[in-house]
Amino acid sequence: MTQETKNLDWYNKWYKQILVVPAIFFIICLAYLAYFYSVHGAFIYKDISLTGGTTVTLIGDIDIKSIEPLLKQEFSDISVRSLTDIRTGKAVSHIIETSAKPEDIKPAIEKILGHPLDEKNSNIEFTGSSLSSSFYNQLIISLIISFILMSFVVFISFRTFVPSTAIIFAALGDIIMTLAIINFLGINISAAGIAAFLMLIGYSVDTDVLLTSRALRRHTYTLNERIFGAFKTGILMTTTALVAVLPVFFIVTGLPDSFRQIFLILAIGLFMDIFNTWMTNASIIKWYCDKKGIK
Amino acid sequence: MKTSSIPMRVWILIIVLICSVIAIAPWGYFEQGVVIRGVDKNSTAFDEGMKTGMIITSINGETVNNFQDYTRVIDSTYPTGNKTGIKFVTRDAEFILFDSEPPKITVANIPKTRIKTGLDLSGGARAIVKAENKSLDSNELSDLISITSNRFNEFGIADISVRPVTDLSGNNFMLIEVAGATTSDLNNLIAEQGKFEAKVGNTTIFIGGLEDITYVARTGEQSGIYSCGAYQGEEVCSFRFTITLSEKAAKKQAATTDLLTIDSTNPEYLSEKLDLYLDDNLVDSLSISKDLKGKETTQIMIQGSGKGATRQDAYVDAQNNMKHLQTILITGSLPYKLEIVKIDTISPVLGKEFLNNIILLGFVVFIGVGLTIFLRYRKLKITIGVLVTMFAEAFITLAVAALIKWNLDATSLAGLIAGIGTGVNDQIVIVDEALSGGADSRSLKEKLKGAFFVILTAFFLIVAAMIPLFWAGAGLLKGFALTTILGVSIGVLITRPAFSEIVRHLVKDK
Repeated sequence: MTQETKNLDWYNKWYKQILVVPAIFFIICLAYLAYFYSVHGAFIYKDISLTGGTTVTLIGDIDIKSIEPLLKQEFSDISVRSLTDIRTGKAVSHIIETSAKPEDIKPAIEKILGHPLDEKNSNIEFTGSSLSSSFYNQLIISLIISFILMSFVVFISFRTFVPSTAIIFAALGDIIMTLAIINFLGINISAAGIAAFLMLIGYSVDTDVLLTSRALRRHTYTLNERIFGAFKTGILMTTTALVAVLPVFFIVTGLPDSFRQIFLILAIGLFMDIFNTWMTNASIIKWYCDKKGIK
Repeated sequence: MKTSSIPMRVWILIIVLICSVIAIAPWGYFEQGVVIRGVDKNSTAFDEGMKTGMIITSINGETVNNFQDYTRVIDSTYPTGNKTGIKFVTRDAEFILFDSEPPKITVANIPKTRIKTGLDLSGGARAIVKAENKSLDSNELSDLISITSNRFNEFGIADISVRPVTDLSGNNFMLIEVAGATTSDLNNLIAEQGKFEAKVGNTTIFIGGLEDITYVARTGEQSGIYSCGAYQGEEVCSFRFTITLSEKAAKKQAATTDLLTIDSTNPEYLSEKLDLYLDDNLVDSLSISKDLKGKETTQIMIQGSGKGATRQDAYVDAQNNMKHLQTILITGSLPYKLEIVKIDTISPVLGKEFLNNIILLGFVVFIGVGLTIFLRYRKLKITIGVLVTMFAEAFITLAVAALIKWNLDATSLAGLIAGIGTGVNDQIVIVDEALSGGADSRSLKEKLKGAFFVILTAFFLIVAAMIPLFWAGAGLLKGFALTTILGVSIGVLITRPAFSEIVRHLVKDK
């Protein structure tokens, strides 16, 4: 018996049980999100662009550690983080966030730094709370619309209930799992971050489409071989997508926040998609084909 | 057979690539000089005929290659406040200005290409504005936008974009983006909503705008600062300028003054004054001569003042107040207050660093994807094919963005890179289908048909997923959706068909 036939035997025997792994993880993530919602009253940690407030970005290598406690005395909700260029090890910028208005925070920072903030040494961004709350609501609505549109496209393309539902379920899994992980890591999501979830909906399902199309529409090879063939292609697709996304965290780190967040969400989502496509969706498709007698 | 000649689909790609080079127009790399981005209307430079878009190549005989040269020459020309002559040579003309201060023009380096970067990468200020306690309909919004644009032009602010944005719930906003401005500039301009009213008692006689005021004098004898002096420990300068009222406003003035009596304490004048209000604050009260009772007058002298600690400060203040009032009288007033819901100032310094890093990231991704593809297929030709297609896709997307004058911000570029990522995915599907041999008895054509089903479905999926972003978030994420959709559309329509031809060719070669 060759290794490949052994693998196939194993897969034929266990494919239904494999489903349990992503299912359990999915349920854990859902439970976590429900708990998260009950504690925070929202499905994400919102950043300043979604809660309203001011972001001041100080450019260059500044001793931010000494500034933070001084600012905290006046603005208790202040949060400070730094953006470092991994190649030089130097801070590119320091980001100070607060719910206060620019008129209040700017002079306070200027006083501590001892020089005025201008367009050469800083960015100042302010979002009013009315706009930011409408941003949030609308982006959530967009996310739902996006998901519904995606579902339509899937149903129109495949016109069969179970395989289409399997794809939609995989996409749902990608979103729920990514969201749970982002929240678990304590990351504040910006408007651009929610937009990244919309992209994830469109971006992650192409491997599912590939799998379903190979399994149902191609009639050469055996079903298992078609699934494995799709797996080989799909993993390469996800790998190259990750190769495009991951350098943001290891090689070129000095990028705008909005940019980094989009890539972070895509990266986590693509990882999750490996499970949701090749464990969940593949097993459902195989099950469906076995029942329908598609060989 | 066609195998030796270049197939149609590859030709299309080549032609589109050539058009893209034209659209991006990278000729700026070979040009020298600085381009004028704005000319203040109340300046010698404007009077002499200098205009936006002209390219200055030398000043006083010194060659100007870039912005640094320009500031150096200008700084050395006006070390004192003395009146100096300065000679500008542009591509098509020469201008000689005599002035005691640097010319009131804004200049910038000649853009290298037609690709425009957004505010977060090029620096500047941005504000999103709505009416306070009121929702604007689309007509009101377009009025607001034209008034605001006029006002910015009157103030001589260059490089400004004022446009409407609508969100998912149908709220209308005005988005203002100004390159190089600061938040306080923008804040002041918006906060001074400029509601101008001229009243006699409680009756409004005329308001700012063309309907009531047909002409506002801004130069010559009829406009200027006429006196300065000390008043209560401060220096005060007074300005005056004449305006011409429309017939309708003049009639209204006549009807109102007709009802007035002669002032008993000051019999030369009428009992009520003409009060000028700016943003509900009284700017000035003008006594009305008794001869004007019931008369239609179209010429009116507007007065006001400015103050400061020194005479110079008072003069500048008066000048600014006059200019402000003139602008409001010309551009009209808004019938409601404005509320700033978002205001950002982005430093060009940080933006430049970000842009360089995004370009670097593009290279890293390019090399990374190339390596991954090569490790998987071990075929140089296929790897090169994938990379060339990837590059073509990015290049054409940038060209389309340049063509539609889209400002590429950070999220747009994230969308571009992600869109190219799906492009690579599609190419992998094509290659894998084409290379599947052994028991696969399908013809190459059938295999590619299978690949295209996956590609088209994936295309519609990403478009469907991104479409809601065109409206959500006051349009701030539109760029992200746009470049992603552009990228995948160009992929499906142009580069993918060409790539499948190339693969067909490579597979046949085997």
